[in-house]
Amino acid sequence: MQWITIFKKEILEDWRNYKWIWVPLVFIVICIMDPISTYYLPQILESVGGMPEGTVLEPPEVVPSQAIMMSLTELSMLGVLVIVAISMSVIAGERKSGVAELILVKPVSYFTYISAKWAEKLLLVFTSYLIGMLASWYYVDLLFGQITAGQFFSLFFFYLIWLIFVISLTIFYNTIVKVPGLVLTLTVVTIMAMSAINQIFSYRMPWFPNSISGHITKMLMENSVPNALWGAVSITIILSVGLLIASNFILKTKEMAD
Amino acid sequence: MAVIEVQNLIKAFKGDQVVKGLNFTLEKGKCVALLGPNGAGKTTTLRMLSGLLKPTDGSIHFEGATKGEDIRQYIGYLPQYPIFHPWMTGKEFLVYVGQLAHLSKKDAIEKADQLLEKVAIFEARNQRIGKYSGGMKQRLGIAQAMIHSPQLLMLDEPVSSLDPLGRREVLTLMEELKQQTTILFSTHILGDAEEISDDLLVMHHGEIVEAGSIESLRHKHQTAKFELAFQGDTTTYQERLKQLECIQETFLEKGEIHVIVEDIETARREILKEAIATDWPLVKFELSRTTLEDLFMKVVKN
Repeated sequence: MQWITIFKKEILEDWRNYKWIWVPLVFIVICIMDPISTYYLPQILESVGGMPEGTVLEPPEVVPSQAIMMSLTELSMLGVLVIVAISMSVIAGERKSGVAELILVKPVSYFTYISAKWAEKLLLVFTSYLIGMLASWYYVDLLFGQITAGQFFSLFFFYLIWLIFVISLTIFYNTIVKVPGLVLTLTVVTIMAMSAINQIFSYRMPWFPNSISGHITKMLMENSVPNALWGAVSITIILSVGLLIASNFILKTKEMAD
Repeated sequence: MAVIEVQNLIKAFKGDQVVKGLNFTLEKGKCVALLGPNGAGKTTTLRMLSGLLKPTDGSIHFEGATKGEDIRQYIGYLPQYPIFHPWMTGKEFLVYVGQLAHLSKKDAIEKADQLLEKVAIFEARNQRIGKYSGGMKQRLGIAQAMIHSPQLLMLDEPVSSLDPLGRREVLTLMEELKQQTTILFSTHILGDAEEISDDLLVMHHGEIVEAGSIESLRHKHQTAKFELAFQGDTTTYQERLKQLECIQETFLEKGEIHVIVEDIETARREILKEAIATDWPLVKFELSRTTLEDLFMKVVKN
């Protein structure tokens, strides 16, 4: 099965270049960084000094759901950047170096090639994200209070949809240009533009992909899944699938050599 | 029987035609050299045949393939500068591309071992490709092209970048592969083409300017020419040769008189008759055959 062959080769590649080790570690740091530093802020300020005599430092009033949302906020910045960085050369790199010239003269369908690579990056991101969020859950539970398993996993899966979109978008740009740095730039600019659009028109477009984390906050506060979240998640899934299909068509029109 | 039939194949980059309407067929079991100077369009042609580039116009028909079928399964291709995943070992790479060419894992491993043996890098099979030398990469490249026993093996400048030893090894290997499959390889070195190919396709400025077996091309382009050298002053004899009826043209080159004649038999008789009659101090009298080198230069210069 060609799909499995490529999928396994990608896993081996990311194993040999240590992505399977450093990406989960980076995700752990990204996820626990904010909740922990918020909790220890008074101690940190105290040890750094410079506060006037007699200042009473109290931990900020943070509820558990706010604390775990801090992880998502960091993920939507640094996490997204890491995801784009590890996926930016998945196809572009092979085309640029010339390996694609050997691979794509074999009878491999382009969709197999694209989707197997997409799936492997998804598995890597899923694993890292899961480990990172479990760590965050542990610390939030310890320092701020309880987050139920139900809350945690619904948050986890809804936000995962956004991360899948980020991977799909990166893969999409991989088929358009073959300079990894350019893939990174285009993807990040697109996400920033989408985020700006989301902020301006959020009232009119509650289903916009970038609004997912906002809806998740609401979900944690109200303890029920808002309809808009279902809408946003559906739209995001549709967009991701659309991007993959478009990638296939774009790659087909590209010439694999200059 | 033809393996591949190419009709009016054209490739233009931004309106600039690099390949201008090629027509040729490759016979099964033949080893064909695509010969031409740099920039003749050889690589572009091979890339179109392998499916890496899309022809601007024209058709490529593969024998036995139905219309719209993926012909990549019938083709093995080695690019001019093959690039591998440097983090993979030679064997891993072969098994990987073997599976991509629809071999089962077991078959791919078996075939990889056979080929590694054949291209003489079996010892280095578990080393990372990043550590391979240029010659080893070239041989690994040939192995990956052969992994699915293609009906047509296409090699783009397989020996041009190699040192004399590596070149010899790859040529010997190609000699062996000739027995198993049809080969089309490009080169700008005539000697390589002459050494292992049965047929030549000579390309220049995007067109095929000559095609045929090496023998037939030699025959076709052979001009009847004698080279004469004399003791003493050569020029006086040139004048006398010019007066012979059978001679078309004479010219001096490196102190030798070159005589272009119409018919070898008559000319030889006439010249020798004259030489004996007037007692020429001949030191050399030679019928020269044009080499393919001359042919190549002639074709390319026109």
